[in-house]
Amino acid sequence: MSSSSVPEQSHGQPAEVEKKSGFLDKLVTLGWATPGFAWLALYLIAPLVFIVLVSFWTYEQGVRSGFTTDWTLQNYTDLFNDSTYWNNMLSSFMTSVIAVVACLVFGFPVAYFLAMKVQSLKYQIALFILALAPFWTSFLTRSIAWTYPLMGREGALNQVLTKLGIVDEPVQALGFSTLSVRLAMVQLYILFMITPLFFVLAQVDRSALEAARDLGANGWKTFREVVIPQAMPGVVIGSIFIFVLTMGEYGTVRVIGGNTVSSVGTIVQSKVEIGIQYPQGAASAVLLVAALIVGVFAITRFSNLREEI
Amino acid sequence: MQGPAGSGRRDWSKIVLAVYFCLFLVFIYAPLILMGVLSLQGEFGSITFPFKGPLSLDWWRTLFDESIPGSNARAIREAAVQSVWISIAAGAITALLAFSLSMAFRRRFRLDGVAFYLIMLALMTPGYLLALGTQLFWSYIDQETSLWKTALGTNVIWGIPFGFLVMLAVWNRYDESVEEAARDLGANRARTFREVTLPLVWTGIFGSFLFGFTLTWNDYDRTLLLISGIETQTLPLQIAGLTFTAAIRPDLYALGTATTLLSIVVILGILVLVTLRLRFRDAGKVERVEEEFGEVESFDIDSLEGTETRPA
Repeated sequence: MSSSSVPEQSHGQPAEVEKKSGFLDKLVTLGWATPGFAWLALYLIAPLVFIVLVSFWTYEQGVRSGFTTDWTLQNYTDLFNDSTYWNNMLSSFMTSVIAVVACLVFGFPVAYFLAMKVQSLKYQIALFILALAPFWTSFLTRSIAWTYPLMGREGALNQVLTKLGIVDEPVQALGFSTLSVRLAMVQLYILFMITPLFFVLAQVDRSALEAARDLGANGWKTFREVVIPQAMPGVVIGSIFIFVLTMGEYGTVRVIGGNTVSSVGTIVQSKVEIGIQYPQGAASAVLLVAALIVGVFAITRFSNLREEI
Repeated sequence: MQGPAGSGRRDWSKIVLAVYFCLFLVFIYAPLILMGVLSLQGEFGSITFPFKGPLSLDWWRTLFDESIPGSNARAIREAAVQSVWISIAAGAITALLAFSLSMAFRRRFRLDGVAFYLIMLALMTPGYLLALGTQLFWSYIDQETSLWKTALGTNVIWGIPFGFLVMLAVWNRYDESVEEAARDLGANRARTFREVTLPLVWTGIFGSFLFGFTLTWNDYDRTLLLISGIETQTLPLQIAGLTFTAAIRPDLYALGTATTLLSIVVILGILVLVTLRLRFRDAGKVERVEEEFGEVESFDIDSLEGTETRPA
């Protein structure tokens, strides 16, 4: 399912019905749409517009809100000259890219196994739910479970590695570190890749696979030329999900990274909660959204390219 | 893909993938299991291995018993109650809004493409950022933020796109001709909606509720900036508070394990209910058909397309 095709399918009404359905139908549609969009306007649009506005307003100490409504570009110029900010932004971006690629590489075999190798629908559903269950629990709790019992200097993983003699002393980098955050992101988000992949792979036309084999294609060639192209929509949706969610991550990075790892979320937080620098926090939030839009755009381009080839 | 099934050759790729799948399960479950095990330590237990016995429920007891020194039972209980109510409310509002939005999307309307992307924007906006924007907006219009006024709102925003996508999937499989038939038989708009449409799509509405409920039950980023004070903490905020401020003890593990088990039990329970209900309803369907047309001998599978059917 590509995002733009979904609404089309849901109202594929013949033209003549459309004509008959006059004014009353339009009114009914308006009635159905109003509550939802009113909510979106109040709790999504207004806050987003406001972040953009505040990012152009002036920081002022002593005012209750922390800013005055004088227009300025100062917040952005400050950020552009702040190399720590850019390093953190880059590191966040790398974390998200790594998470997307790793989730794809490690998640694909899982989705492929569930969709193509498990024959009985009953087992398929059962195994899928088993894989999906941890997604329903709190990411914060899963981060705690990841950080303290497992990773860390004293964590189970380090103890096992030391006992087996693979390392001489506990690996520091498993503690509050960028490495731990990146590994955790795969652990936390891989299901966002597996789920869409599972659904597209389950719909792969089995007769096309047989046809490919009958025409003499070997396993690998069938996989590359029949399975992969059909899996692409799933890859794109999963990538967008993971890129966006990991890039905007806040709470889990704070738990897993301790105070040593920054994400864009924690940067915004440090400006807002510690410095009460709302305008600068807002400006860095706007840049985050810009980065998200560029990233999502790049991912969708990639898929179109693939389809054209 | 090795040879066709039943050719006698073993499908090695299947075996390899099955082993990989097991490793994958270990990878995603290991932290949670380790946490659960460590929550069962004795009173000298620490937050890492080795396990310090004896095996006991002492740390679990501190979650519920205020009289144990160092227990946060009271705060945890209040946060949990708060979390249950806010999650139910968020689930209900999510279900209503996602359903009504999806009803609007059943026919084309002007700017429906933009409207669709607007709903997807709710999915894309990082939670912490949304909370920040909400905080700025409400302070500018001189309103206090609070759990019920603002955090509820931002949590529903997170639930809406999930519920909406669930509903779209339901409408995709929905057979519009049932509604036409009802109208041809003289039912008016309201009655058709009440007696034909709703009963057919309620599982989707319930799914939306579930999304709204669990996303809110687990939310941290969207709630953090928007509560008015310590007395309106939710459970995730309470858990985070225990993690960030106090020295961590195994009772945090007990709390984490408890909320995890609760989530999983709720999901499994609901899955079982839905499965049972579908089975029940399918049986009912055949009966009704048989009442009207006599015994059904062969069933045209295509005629069932669009209605929910239990996997054979």
